[in-house]
Amino acid sequence: MFRKQMLATLAALMTSTAATADETEVTVWSWFVQSTMEKPIAAFEEKYPDIKVKYTYYNYSPEYITALKAAAASDSLPDVIGLQPGSLTQQYREHLTSVNDMAAAEWGADWADNIFPVNRRQVLMGNPEGDEGYYIVPQESQVLCIWYNRKIFDTLGLSAPQTYDDLKAAATALTEGGYIPMFQGAADGWQNENVFLMLANQFSAGITDKAQAGEVPWTSPGLVSAMNAWKGLFDDGIFQQGALGAHAYPTGAQLLAQGKVGMMALGSWWMQESKFPPPLSEYVENMDGFDFFYMPPVPGSTQPSPPVGGIDIGYGLTKNGAENESAWTFLTELTNGVGLQQALNDLNDLPAFKGHEPQGEVSDHVKQMYARFMEDLPNAENQRFAIPAIAEALDNALAGVAAGELNAEDALASVQAATDKALGQ
Amino acid sequence: MSETAQLPRRSHSVARLTNFAFVLPAVVLFVVFIAYPILWVAQNSLLSAGSEGGTRYAGLTHYIDILSNPTFWTVVRNMFLWGVITIPVQMVIGGVLAYCIERHTRAWRGFFRTAFFLPVVTSVSVVSLVWVQIYAPYYGIAQEYLKHIGITLTYSPIGDPKTAIYALIIVNIWQWTGFSMLMYIAGIANMPPEVLDAARVDGARGWRLAVHVIIPMLAPSTKSLLMLGVIGTLQTFPIVHLMTGGGPNCASEVFGTFIFKQSFILGDTGSGAALSVLVLMIALVLSVLQIVFLGTQQSSAKGRSA
Repeated sequence: MFRKQMLATLAALMTSTAATADETEVTVWSWFVQSTMEKPIAAFEEKYPDIKVKYTYYNYSPEYITALKAAAASDSLPDVIGLQPGSLTQQYREHLTSVNDMAAAEWGADWADNIFPVNRRQVLMGNPEGDEGYYIVPQESQVLCIWYNRKIFDTLGLSAPQTYDDLKAAATALTEGGYIPMFQGAADGWQNENVFLMLANQFSAGITDKAQAGEVPWTSPGLVSAMNAWKGLFDDGIFQQGALGAHAYPTGAQLLAQGKVGMMALGSWWMQESKFPPPLSEYVENMDGFDFFYMPPVPGSTQPSPPVGGIDIGYGLTKNGAENESAWTFLTELTNGVGLQQALNDLNDLPAFKGHEPQGEVSDHVKQMYARFMEDLPNAENQRFAIPAIAEALDNALAGVAAGELNAEDALASVQAATDKALGQ
Repeated sequence: MSETAQLPRRSHSVARLTNFAFVLPAVVLFVVFIAYPILWVAQNSLLSAGSEGGTRYAGLTHYIDILSNPTFWTVVRNMFLWGVITIPVQMVIGGVLAYCIERHTRAWRGFFRTAFFLPVVTSVSVVSLVWVQIYAPYYGIAQEYLKHIGITLTYSPIGDPKTAIYALIIVNIWQWTGFSMLMYIAGIANMPPEVLDAARVDGARGWRLAVHVIIPMLAPSTKSLLMLGVIGTLQTFPIVHLMTGGGPNCASEVFGTFIFKQSFILGDTGSGAALSVLVLMIALVLSVLQIVFLGTQQSSAKGRSA
C-alpha cells in the first residue's frame, strides 16, 4: 500500500514538473492598475493555459518611468511594456521591436487599416523620417469631452451648453447653487493640455499638430485666441477658484462622482467609474447622473471643439520579448483579442482596433454614450505630443497665463522657442 | 639578515594586510555604490544623445545650457528659501516643544512625544494629499473651519506662483518639526542634572537658564540638525513632486524635481546629469563650510574648556 502511494506521488510530481517545463512566462510592466489587468490576464491564461503572465504594476510617475529607464540601461526590460505614443515610445524605440511583419502575419496585410486613423498617426509619431515601424500596438483609445452632472443641471433648470454664454450662465448658476462649476485640476499639466487642445482645434482643426511639427508658429492668431480663451475660463468663473492648486485625480474625480461638481473636462474613460466596486454614488451608478458635450465655441471661434483624442495606452514588444514567442501571443490578445474584450467589458475606455464593443451588463444610457464616442473617434484630432520638451513648455505657458504671470503672446513665444530648439531650427 | 630579524618584519606585513582586509568591504561598497555612480553621472554630464543612437561628446554644453536657464535660478532661489526658513523654524519650534514636553509634562509626556512625532512617520503621499485638500478653497478642509468665522478662501496658495514655495515650506515644517523635537529631547535627556542644579543655585531661572545653559548644552543636537537640514533641503523631492509638480510655471521647482524632469520626463540625461553634478558641488561646498565653521567652534570650545 505504502509503495503504491509512493509511486502515485512520484508520478504526480513528475507530471507537474513536466507541466512546468512546458509552461512559458510572459513578463509585463505597466501603470494600468492591478485590478484592471487581472481580468484580461485571467481571460488570456484561460485561453492559453501553458502561458503564465507575470504582471508588475507601477504608479506612472515617478515609479514607472524611472523603472523603465533603469531597466533599459541594464538591458533588463520585461517582454511587454505599457507605453503612451509619442515621446515615451520614442525614448525606448531602440529597445522595442517593430511589429509590422508579425502583425501582418497575425491579422493580415491590411491589419493597420483596422486601427482608427488618429491612433495610426500617433503610433508613428516621432519616428525618424522613413521609419514606418509600429513600435507600440495600441490597446485603448479615448475621446476628450466635458462631462456634466445632468441631475444637477435638471435641478437648476440647465441644459448642456451650446454657446459660451450658456457655459458662463451654467457656471454662475452652479456656483450660486453651491456647486463647483467646472472642476479643473490645473496643477496637472495633462488636464490643462487637454482643455487647450479642445480650444485650439476650434480655431483650426489640427493646428497644434502643425505647430509642434514646426509648420505653423505657436504665435499664430488661432493659437493666441485659444490661449486667451483659456485665460477666460479662469476669469469668467467657469473653472473653480484656486484651480491652479487642484489635481484632477483623486480630488476632482471624487468630487465629480459625489455630485459636488457641475462639469469637468475628462474623456471617455470616465465611464469606467460605473464599473468600480460598490458602493457607487447615484450619479455614477450606470452613469445615470452624467452625460457629455464638447466645448462650445469660445470668443473668437464659430464652432465647438471637434473630438480630440487618440491612444489611451498601447503596449510595446521589447527586444527581450521578441525572443519569447508567447510575449507576442499575449500582446495580440491584450490589444485585439480576449484581453481587450475584458477591458472593454469594464468600460475601461474605447478600443483602438475596429470591431469591438463592450459586452455584459451595460445600461442603455451607457450604450448610447459609448456609441456617440465611437462615432466621433474616427474623426478625432490628435491629443499627443511627439516631443516632451514642447509639451513641457506648453504646460508652463498655460500655467503662467492662468496665473496672470504671462500674456498669451509671450507664453506662446516661449513654446515656439522650445519647439525651435527641439526641432533644431 | 638573520631569520629572527625577518620574522617580525613578515608578521608586521601580515598585520598590515589584515588591516587592509578589514577596510576592503567598506572600500568596495564605497566604490560600487558611491564613487562609480558619481563618476558615471559626471561622465554623462559631458555627453549628448547622438543622431543615430548612442552618445557623442558635448563638452560643457549642458552646464552652459543649465546656467543660462532661468528655471535653474528659480530653483536656486527656492532652495535658498527652503533652507533658511525650514532649518531654523524647525529647530526653534522643535526645541520649544522638546523643552515644554520634557520640563512641564509628566503623565502626558509619552502622548505629546508621539503626537508631535507622528507626521515624521506618516507617508509623504498621505501628507501631500491631505495638505492639498487643506489648501483647497471653497471645498477644502481649512475652508470648512474658516467659514464658521466668516472667512472664505478664494485661492489655493499652492496654485499661486508667488506663494507656492512658501506653502510647500509650511508643509515641510509641519512634517519634520517632530524630528527636531526628538533630537532635542535626546539632548535634554543627556544633560547632566548637576549642571542644571548648579545653574539654578547660581540664580539662573527661566529664560536665562534656557539661553545661557540649556541652549549651549544642546549645541551637538543643533549642529546635527543643521547638517541634516542642509542634506534634507538638497534632497527635497516628494512633497513638491506630489503637491505641485514644481509648478505653476516652475515657481516651486526644486533641485529634485528639476533633475527628475530633465532626466525622466524630457529624456535629457545629459542635462539631468549636469544638474546632479552642480548639486553635488553645492553639497560639497556646504559640507566644507560646515566642517570649517562648526568644527572650529567645537575645537575652540574644547580649547577653552581645557
